[in-house]
Amino acid sequence: MTKQYAFFVDAKRCIGCFTCAMACKNQYHQEPGVHWRQVYPLNEEIYPHRERAFYSLACNHCENPTCANVCPVKAYYKREEDGVVVHEQDKCIGCGNCIRSCPYGAPRYNPVLKKAEKCSFCYQRLDAGLKPACVQSCPVEALQIVDLAEFDNPNAVQYPAGFPRFTKLNPSVRFILPEQPRMVTRSDV
Amino acid sequence: MKTHTKECVGQALSNAFSRRRFLKAMAASGALACLPGALLRPLTAEAGIVYEGDYQTFRNACPRNCYDTCSIKSYVKDGVLQFIEGAQESTYTRGGLCVKGYAYTRRPYEPTRVKYPMEQQGRGSGNWKRLSWDEAMDKIARKVLEMQEKDGNLLGLGMTKYSGNFGITNYVVEGMMSSLGYTTRFTGTPCWPAGIDAQNYDLGNMWCNDPEDFPDARYVILWGVNPAWCSVHSMKYIYAARDRGAKIVAIDPVMTQTAAKADEYWQVKTSADGALALGMARHILDQGLVDRDWVDNNSVGFEEFASYLRNNVTVDWAAELSGVPAERIKAVAEEFATAKPATIWIGYGMQRHVNGGATVRAVDALVAMTGNVGKVGGGARYGHLQTWGFNYHAMLQKQPEGAKGVPGKTEVKGDFHFTGDQGEVSYSDRILNINKTAQEILDAQDPPVRMLWVSCKNPFSQDFDRNKMQKAFDKLEMVVTVDNFFNQTVEQSDIVLPVTTLFEEWTINASYWHYWLSINEQAIKPMYEAKSNIEIAAALSKKMNELSPGSCTFPTEVDTKEWMVKEFNQNIYDQFGLESWEDLREGPRKMKLASSASWSTLEFGTPSKKYEFKSELCAEHGHKALPEWKEPREPNAKLRLLTPHTKFAIHSQFNNIDWMQEFNPRPYVYLNPQTASERGIDDGDTVRVFNDLGEVTIQAKLTSILPADTIMMYEAWFHANPYNCQNLVDDTAADMGSYKTGQPGVAIHDQFADVARV
Repeated sequence: MTKQYAFFVDAKRCIGCFTCAMACKNQYHQEPGVHWRQVYPLNEEIYPHRERAFYSLACNHCENPTCANVCPVKAYYKREEDGVVVHEQDKCIGCGNCIRSCPYGAPRYNPVLKKAEKCSFCYQRLDAGLKPACVQSCPVEALQIVDLAEFDNPNAVQYPAGFPRFTKLNPSVRFILPEQPRMVTRSDV
Repeated sequence: MKTHTKECVGQALSNAFSRRRFLKAMAASGALACLPGALLRPLTAEAGIVYEGDYQTFRNACPRNCYDTCSIKSYVKDGVLQFIEGAQESTYTRGGLCVKGYAYTRRPYEPTRVKYPMEQQGRGSGNWKRLSWDEAMDKIARKVLEMQEKDGNLLGLGMTKYSGNFGITNYVVEGMMSSLGYTTRFTGTPCWPAGIDAQNYDLGNMWCNDPEDFPDARYVILWGVNPAWCSVHSMKYIYAARDRGAKIVAIDPVMTQTAAKADEYWQVKTSADGALALGMARHILDQGLVDRDWVDNNSVGFEEFASYLRNNVTVDWAAELSGVPAERIKAVAEEFATAKPATIWIGYGMQRHVNGGATVRAVDALVAMTGNVGKVGGGARYGHLQTWGFNYHAMLQKQPEGAKGVPGKTEVKGDFHFTGDQGEVSYSDRILNINKTAQEILDAQDPPVRMLWVSCKNPFSQDFDRNKMQKAFDKLEMVVTVDNFFNQTVEQSDIVLPVTTLFEEWTINASYWHYWLSINEQAIKPMYEAKSNIEIAAALSKKMNELSPGSCTFPTEVDTKEWMVKEFNQNIYDQFGLESWEDLREGPRKMKLASSASWSTLEFGTPSKKYEFKSELCAEHGHKALPEWKEPREPNAKLRLLTPHTKFAIHSQFNNIDWMQEFNPRPYVYLNPQTASERGIDDGDTVRVFNDLGEVTIQAKLTSILPADTIMMYEAWFHANPYNCQNLVDDTAADMGSYKTGQPGVAIHDQFADVARV
C-alpha cells in the first residue's frame, strides 16, 4: 500500500474539549459558521451519557474522494506522496457539487467567497515538518496522524456506530471506541 | 457595536473581498487613524495559505485563573497576531493549549472589544459616549479629590479585583490604590480558601506534588475535580498512570467528563464527601491497613482521630449519607490503602460548602494515614504557591504624605498577598469581604463606599446574589471598570477603560498547580486605545498631580517591560536556574525541584512540625481539632443547584468571543429526565429556574449525568445575553478561609432552587 495519511481518533482518550476544532480556527480564521473540524457528541444510543463521548471529525481524505470525482473544474487533487486531498480554492467556481455529495460533510460553503473549502490536513505544515494544527493541539493525544500503510492497531475500527459507512470512498480515518467507567450511582434518589 | 462593523472586522481578518467595505466603514467611523496598518492586510482563509515560517515569534502565557497557566508561542506577521500554539519547551503544555487558549488569537481583534474610554449616560442604558483618555482621567481624578475633600480620607474609594488577569504586574491595581491613599479593599477569595486553611492546619501549608509525577501513582482518586475540562494538560499524566497499572476513581456529584474517563465513578451526594472520606478511613482502620510507621513517626493526634472514627463513624453511616454503597466504599478504601503510592487530587468545588474545610481535612487524613504524604506519586494534591516569590514591586506603592485611613494597623491577608509585614503604621486600608461584596457595600458607613474601581474582575457575573449587587451598585456614586469587553459589570458602570490583552503587554505568569514559569512579551501594539493596568495607573497619577500636586505617588511615566523586569529577584533566578529574565525568552522554565513530591523531607509547617490529625490551631480558630464530620447546609428549595465551570469558558471570560459562540452558542440548565418529567418539561423547553433570591429563564437539556435531586447550569457570560447564574446563588460563607486568606470562603455549591415550565 502507498503512503496514506489518516486521522486516528481515539475516543477512549478523547475528552471532547474542542481544542482541536478551535486550533483549526486559530490557524485558518474561517468565516463565521464555517468549520473544517467539528467535535460531535455521540448520541445516547451509542454512548449512554449525553455529551460524554465524542468523535472529532474533519475531512477523511478518502482513498476514492467523491469531492474530486464530482468537481467540474478539477479543483480537487489527491497528493501522491501522502494521499492528502487538496482543494484549490482559486479554481473553485462554488457550484456546490462536492458539498452536496460528500457523505461526511467535509467541504463547507464559504458564504463570503462563495466557494467551497475544507480541511487540508495542514499539508503546508506537513511539508514544513510539522503536525497538523489539530493534532498538535490535542492535550491527550486522542487525535493523531497515522500512515495507513503502516498502521496496525488491532483495536481500531473504520466505521464505528454513528459514522457513515461508505466503503467505496474508503475514508482515511480510524477510531478507538469510547468506554464507560464502572458506574456507582446514588442509591438514595 | 454596529453589526456591519462587526462583520467588517471579522472579514478584514479573513479575506480581501470585505477589505474595501471594512476600510469604508472604518473611514466613516473615523477609526482608521488608530488602526495598525497591518490589520488591513487580508488574511486568506483558503486552503492555499502558505505556511512559510517567516513569522516573528513571541513568548506569551495565559493569565487566566486556571491550573494549567499555559505557556504560549505567538506568531506575528506585519504586526498582526496570526496564530498561536502551546510552547513546545514546556513538558506540561507540550505544544498545545485548550479550546479557550486557541480562541485568544481572536481576542485582540474581537469586534465587540472595548476600544476607547467611554462614559455611559445612565447605568444600564447602553448609551455610551466616547471619551479621550484625558477626559476620562479628569472625571475620575476630580471624583477622587472630591471624596478626599468631603471625607478627609479616601476610604470612600473601593477597589475590587480578583483573578481575571493573574499576570504579576497586575498587582499594580492594588499599588495604584495605595499611591492615592488609604482606600477600601475587598479581600479574600471565592475560589479555594476553605481548603487552603484545611491544608494549613493539617500540613502547615498548601503544597502539592508536581502534577508531572502522576504517572508514578499506583492509585488515583480525582475527588471533586474535573481536569478534563479545567486542567486538560493534567489528563495525559493521569492516563499515563493508568497505562502503568494505576486505577483511576472519580468522585463527583455529577458524572463529569473526567468521571467518564475514570475506571470507577462514584456519584456522591453533594456536600457528603466528608462522610465518605471518614467512612473510608474507618474501614482502613478496621482492616489494619493504616501505615503505622508513617503515622507514628510523622504525625500527631492519630490515636484521637482513630477513637473519633470508632465512636462516631461506620461505613454504613457513610454510605447512607453519601449515597455510595458500603460495599464500594470498603473495596476502594482497601485498594487505596494497599496501593503504594496512592494519591488524591482534591478539587476546589468540594470545599465550596459550609462544611468544605472540614471535608478537605477528612480527605487529607485519608492520604496521611495510608502513608502517602511526602511520596513521589502520592500526596493530597490541592495547589501551591511555591513559584510566586516575586517582588510585587507594582503593588508596593507609598501613600501620599498626610494620607489618613482606618486608624491603627489592620493586617491585610489574601491568597496571593505576599507583601509581608509593613511595620508600624498609623493608618490602614478598610478591609471588606470580597465574598459578600454586595452586602459590604450596603453596610459600609463613615464614609460609605462612594466609588468603586473594578479591574480583573466581573462582580455582576461572578459575585453572589446579583439582585443584591444591583442594590449595592445603586448606592455607589461612581463606578469605573477596566476591561476588554462590555460585560455585565461594565453595563452597570459609569466609565469603562479599555485594557490590554495578554498580547499587548509585558508580564510574568506562574501556576498554582504545575511548576513552570513563563514570561509574557508584548507581541503586538495595543489595539485601539487600550492601556495596561500599569499605564492606566500612570495616566491617573499624571492627572491627579496636575489637579492637586502630591495627591498621588505613582510614577507618571512607565514602561511595562521595565515594570515586568522589576518583579524578578535572585531567589526566582536561583529557583529556576536563570541567569536573567531574558532566558525566559527562549521558552518557559521549570522550577528545580529537590523532589517532585511536596513534603518529601517530612518536615511539616505545623506548630508540631508533624502532620496534625489533631490541630490545636484549628480548634483555636473555632473549628474542631480533629477532621470530624460537619453537617451540611439545610436545603431551602426542592433541588440542589450546582453552578460549576464550563469547558468553553473560565468564569465570565471566553464565551462572549465570536469564535467560541460557534461551538457554545447558549447556556442551558441540565436536568435529570425524571426531574423533568415530574415537572412536565421536555428536552429543549424554555424553563424558569427560581429560588428566594431570583430566577433565570433558560433552555433545558435532559441528561443522565445528574441525579434526580440536582440541577446544574454553568457559570458564564454570553455576549448580549442576560443569562446570569448568580441570580440564584447566595453569599453564605464556607466554614474556613479566614486564617490564610483573611475572609471565609463561600458555599457556592450549597445552593438550592426549583424549576418549572414557562
